[in-house]
Amino acid sequence: MARDLPLQALPDGAGNGAATAARLMTPLATSVVGSYSVPEWLERLKTDYYQRRISGAYLAEIHDVAIKAALKDQERAGIDVVSDGELRRDNDVDYFLARMPGVEIPHRAKDFYYDYYEARVTHPLPELDPAGPPPLGLLDDFLFTRQYTDRPIKFSLTGPFSLSRRVRNECYGDEAELVLAFARTLNREARALAAAGVAVLQVDEPFLAGYRDRAGLAVQALNVVFEGVDPRTTLRAVHVCYGNRYARPLWEGQYDFLFPAILDAHVDQVVLEFARKGYDDLELFRRYPDTSFTLGLGVIDVKSHEVETPELIAARVRRALQVLPPQRLMVNPDCGLRHLPSDVARAKLQALTVGTALVRRELPGDG
Amino acid sequence: MRRTAPLHQNDGTPKPLLDMGSARTLVQVRWGSVRGAAMQIVIRSTDRLRGPKALDLGPVFGALLAAAQESPLDLARLRVVGDWVQYKQNFREPVDARLICPTATASARAYRAGLDAEAEAGTDISASGLELGVDLRRANAADLPDLFRQALSLGGDGQEHDRCRLYLEAWGPESASCIWAFNALYWSALGLWEQATGNEYEQALPKGESDARNVAAARDLILELFRVWDDLAAQHALPEDLYILELGVGNGNQARVWLDEFVRMDRERNGGAYYRRLHYLMGDYSPHVLERARANVSSHAEHVSSLVLDARALTQTLRFLSYKAFLIYISNVYDNLPTDEIVRLGGHLFRVEVRTFIAGATAERLAAQVGITPAELRDLVGRLLHLGPALLAEAAAERFHGDPLAAVALWRALWEALRLEERYVPIEELDTYEVAPGISGEILRPIVEANGDVRMHVSNGAAASFADSMPLLHPFGVLQCHDLFVTDIDQYQSGFRGPGKYDGSVVNWVNGPVLAAIGRRRGFDVQFRRFAHRAGSNVLTLTARVRE
Repeated sequence: MARDLPLQALPDGAGNGAATAARLMTPLATSVVGSYSVPEWLERLKTDYYQRRISGAYLAEIHDVAIKAALKDQERAGIDVVSDGELRRDNDVDYFLARMPGVEIPHRAKDFYYDYYEARVTHPLPELDPAGPPPLGLLDDFLFTRQYTDRPIKFSLTGPFSLSRRVRNECYGDEAELVLAFARTLNREARALAAAGVAVLQVDEPFLAGYRDRAGLAVQALNVVFEGVDPRTTLRAVHVCYGNRYARPLWEGQYDFLFPAILDAHVDQVVLEFARKGYDDLELFRRYPDTSFTLGLGVIDVKSHEVETPELIAARVRRALQVLPPQRLMVNPDCGLRHLPSDVARAKLQALTVGTALVRRELPGDG
Repeated sequence: MRRTAPLHQNDGTPKPLLDMGSARTLVQVRWGSVRGAAMQIVIRSTDRLRGPKALDLGPVFGALLAAAQESPLDLARLRVVGDWVQYKQNFREPVDARLICPTATASARAYRAGLDAEAEAGTDISASGLELGVDLRRANAADLPDLFRQALSLGGDGQEHDRCRLYLEAWGPESASCIWAFNALYWSALGLWEQATGNEYEQALPKGESDARNVAAARDLILELFRVWDDLAAQHALPEDLYILELGVGNGNQARVWLDEFVRMDRERNGGAYYRRLHYLMGDYSPHVLERARANVSSHAEHVSSLVLDARALTQTLRFLSYKAFLIYISNVYDNLPTDEIVRLGGHLFRVEVRTFIAGATAERLAAQVGITPAELRDLVGRLLHLGPALLAEAAAERFHGDPLAAVALWRALWEALRLEERYVPIEELDTYEVAPGISGEILRPIVEANGDVRMHVSNGAAASFADSMPLLHPFGVLQCHDLFVTDIDQYQSGFRGPGKYDGSVVNWVNGPVLAAIGRRRGFDVQFRRFAHRAGSNVLTLTARVRE
């Protein structure tokens, strides 16, 4: 049976709990997928760090300033659920693998900050002390962000299946074992983040679309990550797209591979890419009427610098409303904005909120 | 000895700022250094200095030093660069003088130096420099001493030239020079040019044939495509339409060889299933060239489309192809696209600005041949570039008697006579220099900072084309390009990389590290290797694929 956004009680940690819940329960609430525009100058500084030309302390301060600016941009655009823009991360994989106990990375210098490390696992990942701190240190990232915004915060984790695709597995006989081991580590982090007040905890699986026959394994691991995360206080989301590395798709295809496996996922929202690919896959929600999750509707093509008009955004939302009610839709870009120039990212978010507002005004009982 | 001037006058008031126009000082500044800095002599192509045919530079240095002794020029501001210009048809004189315009830093130092020194008659505070470019291939010319004397007498301001050269344009970036209009004219009026010379353009290539005809190379590419398509088909992810794009189709030989081979291999493998889904797009900016290529592949007409397009702005025409092209094939196109050159001297960056000219005596001779004055010749060149030889022959029937070949004869003579005068203009902020649309000069910084003083091509046209190709590639697509590539910036020190003249077109080696940096920034691995199917060729193969 379909559920509305499941947020009756939020901790005060994310600003005002009641206000947070209200924002999230707004029909057609707006959000981002995660990453925010990374300007060329910041890329250069990040690369300088990986080539040991500036210190980690300098880079951390630079990140602090950039994150504050990203939050401000999102707030000014009127985004309901904001993120730190993932600006501290070098890429979607290494930020996690480099902190993951048991993952070996022989060489940590990079020619370009966005390159992937060569990572490997030669021994089973260590079992973590249940009483110990969450191992990846992501909580600090969230706590910093929380200081600078009163809005609900989305926090994303790269999923265990995608992480496993970038590791040379020299230990586990079955790839599923590695995936589930990553999932158990991520679960520790997820619980801590949820307890600290993350409003939307999102697991990203950017590589899943290239491995259509692994959807079942990815869902199994996803459920491990979210185990113990209270859906009454934290919206559990999963994002699956066709890749956005260097603003290019990694694969092409349709989302039908996710079904019916995704129906078994313990998630409250599935965040999908539509704007670039078209909206035909919305029909999957008709074909599988028993979906329990809401949809994070992609309405911004993040691979194009052309800024959508509010009218186009509104048309895309209306298209989705033919399939799902407004209570089951959150409006967001197709994927992260990291590859867009800052001015384009700002303009696209502005168009997203203005376009969504146009549709909100058309909803019965509005205003 | 350098003296320090007081900052205040005797009465204690601040000393007025020096009027640069009238200042005279003992201090002489060269790219930020002061008197005593060495004159630089740079010999590229050092391999020419050894072996049985070793070049004897004695006469060159002798002539240079004799001229230098007579010259009033501050030799600390002089730089001499020797190149072996292997293109017998090129845009250079045996000795060229290039003004090195002062950088902001050098100007500021000169200004401060002026403040620090007492004004003194007859001295020079200029922060500019002068580079003499010597073509070592022609350096044994008997008139070398005179050429050096003339070049040094210019003092770097180029004023003397004005009286003996017919300039066809104002100073500007090399990529905007009218040599590229001549280049475009060559491709658009190729038929007439070939008629006049009696040769097809492929005969102007070093081996008399484009590498595009190579069957073995085509077979390798097709096999790789089959592998990718089979894998995608197994995952139900192979699109119905399979797109191949060829840029710069020439006479269509590459397309015909490739398609014939494709049909043969596909029939052998799976009964022609892929051929039925194949769309082969031929792109060229010349309708004339496309027409000839289309005729060459007429047996594949149902699978071939031809599009007139600018290789530097592909997505303007081919947006529909976004992420759909499995292969973009380019052969000998990039080396024929407009480019700038930049120079790093003493840590400062300069753009090479050019203006085309025709030597005064030659201009008079050519003008006389068509019954006009040299000044009118400049206008006639403009009309030729605008109209092409066929229309010009009609529009100026009194000059050409309506005969297009007479207009082509003038065109060829002009082309042979065209020269480039150069100067170096500082690039103070790299981000203000545009490599290609959407690509700022900042992408060059790691390259120039890692390689010391160098003069190199930016390959702007190739960069624009390459960058605009990548959005068209399918996630499993590949771009393959055969061309003349520099793969290491050091190669700019060891040889001359253009511009030269190939028949009626311009040729420059392509800066591979710049393309690699652009590809990398867009998530592509870019590799260069020797063209595998012909020994002894300078042609390299660039391959770009999406990086994981």
